Amino acid sequence: MKLALTVMALLASGCLLASDGFAQASPPIDKPSAGAKNQENAQGLSHDLSGVWMQYRDGDVPGTPGMNGVNEHFRPPLTPWGEDQFKNAHALQGNAAIAGKEDNSALRCEPSGPPQVLILPNPWEIVQIPGRVLMFFEEQHIWREIWTDGRPLPKDPDPSWLGYSVGHWEGDTFIVETAGFNDKEWVDLYGNPRTSTTRLIEKYRRLNHDTLEQQIIIEDPRVYTKPWVSPPKLHKLEPGWELAEWFCVLDENNDYDKVVRKPAGIAPDSK
Amino acid sequence: MRSWWWIFFCLLTGTMICSPALFAQKTQTQGEKASAEAKAEAVPAGGHLSHDLSGVWMQYDDGTAPGFARMNGVDDRTRPPLTPWGQEQYDKARPLMGPRAVGGQEDSAALHCDPSGPPQLLILPNPWEIVQIPGRTFMFFEEYHIWRTIWTDGRPLPKDTDPTWLGYSVGHWEGDTFIVDTVGFNDKVWADLSGNPRSEQAHLIEKYRRLNHDTLEQQIIIDDPKSYTREWVSPPKLHKLEPGWEIAEWFCAPSDWQEYDKDVRKPSGKTGGEPTLPAQ
Repeated sequence: MKLALTVMALLASGCLLASDGFAQASPPIDKPSAGAKNQENAQGLSHDLSGVWMQYRDGDVPGTPGMNGVNEHFRPPLTPWGEDQFKNAHALQGNAAIAGKEDNSALRCEPSGPPQVLILPNPWEIVQIPGRVLMFFEEQHIWREIWTDGRPLPKDPDPSWLGYSVGHWEGDTFIVETAGFNDKEWVDLYGNPRTSTTRLIEKYRRLNHDTLEQQIIIEDPRVYTKPWVSPPKLHKLEPGWELAEWFCVLDENNDYDKVVRKPAGIAPDSK
Repeated sequence: MRSWWWIFFCLLTGTMICSPALFAQKTQTQGEKASAEAKAEAVPAGGHLSHDLSGVWMQYDDGTAPGFARMNGVDDRTRPPLTPWGQEQYDKARPLMGPRAVGGQEDSAALHCDPSGPPQLLILPNPWEIVQIPGRTFMFFEEYHIWRTIWTDGRPLPKDTDPTWLGYSVGHWEGDTFIVDTVGFNDKVWADLSGNPRSEQAHLIEKYRRLNHDTLEQQIIIDDPKSYTREWVSPPKLHKLEPGWEIAEWFCAPSDWQEYDKDVRKPSGKTGGEPTLPAQ
């Protein structure tokens, strides 16, 4: 709860610099060394992605450190429908956010899913077992399955929070494709829409033992006029970490909202 | 009967999103003769039962407590007397099941979309999966999409851990039996659906034994001196391997639940003190 509140506070204040508190057992993250970008092994990078990962804080979006896995700077123009959705969102982050009036499904303890669950600076873990890659997120204690047994994406999946994911290797890169999302969550904290026609592509490449590169690509012709290709984002292996229990509990969240988050915001008429 | 029960349970738990639980069931062929068969097929004397518990499991309908079909992993009939503190908690609870349940007035952490945890999480008739990797055993529950970690790397239980919904679990093998010890619970979820408490002092012991390829025996023991005057030892309960099943996505989403509660669950509730579930 302590962590949840901390993170909610940070979410609300738009500052996530200190949010990697709970699971942390080692010193603060340094910037990745230039060497991380060089392939350590000329014969091929590892197909083993397992371990607890934490994203590097650095990024090219200074106002949103650590959350640029989906990078607003690269967002293509919205379709008229997408624009409409975007304008009606009460963003949690960015220029459109108004303190105390933000909305986001996660603030109401709704489940979270990709890509939003991928971009927040919280520890996450990959476990590989035959036929599946499992991802565990400290955030809201979410887990997701990526099927690697060769099955295709379902043609007509029921809309869900996590979507349906399949993955395969292309050389050194693990490519995850996900479809079948619901439209109840944004792709980020700015209010950019995710819909039932969204297709998510994630690319993972282990640059060296300690560094995982993650790239997020969003395709949704209903919302975005072309694919939204964010630049790769680096994550650091944290061998000493274990994911802590962090559930979103509605009562605790409501109390927090009433006592701390809203009073800290700007008065309603400031909009 | 069976599908009716599922729907009823979904209605009762107030979650429209229960429907994925239906579609995870591709092959419902649980037999009433499970127990007898399982024991007949059990590994011969001197043999060794498998230390591999992996797979999707689903509990058998039959059980030793007829009033609580399928939810008798924690068996009310074997509950020891409550302590005064335990009794107070129990009296306060507005249970979801049992003779004290009043339709439309039930309360349970799960009805607020609060997280769940063991042992309650273990006793509901939903598919769950075990995955074993070196140093850890994972359990994945379709119910609320919860996962839990059981450390099997030899670490001891922590001496002073923060109270959590899932607690902190370690496991080890004793012969053919995988024994899971869990401590560090919070007191926000009941041990069952009848309102029996789970306090911060609760020590949960689970024993798993694979009787044959298709059958897992699970025994739940609750040692909670704050709530119960002695150990609560429930009889073993059988689970069936379901090789064709995959865990579906079932989250408790507050928005779905609130709508459902307002439109369906409360209006349909009885207020006369009748049991919520039909006697069996």
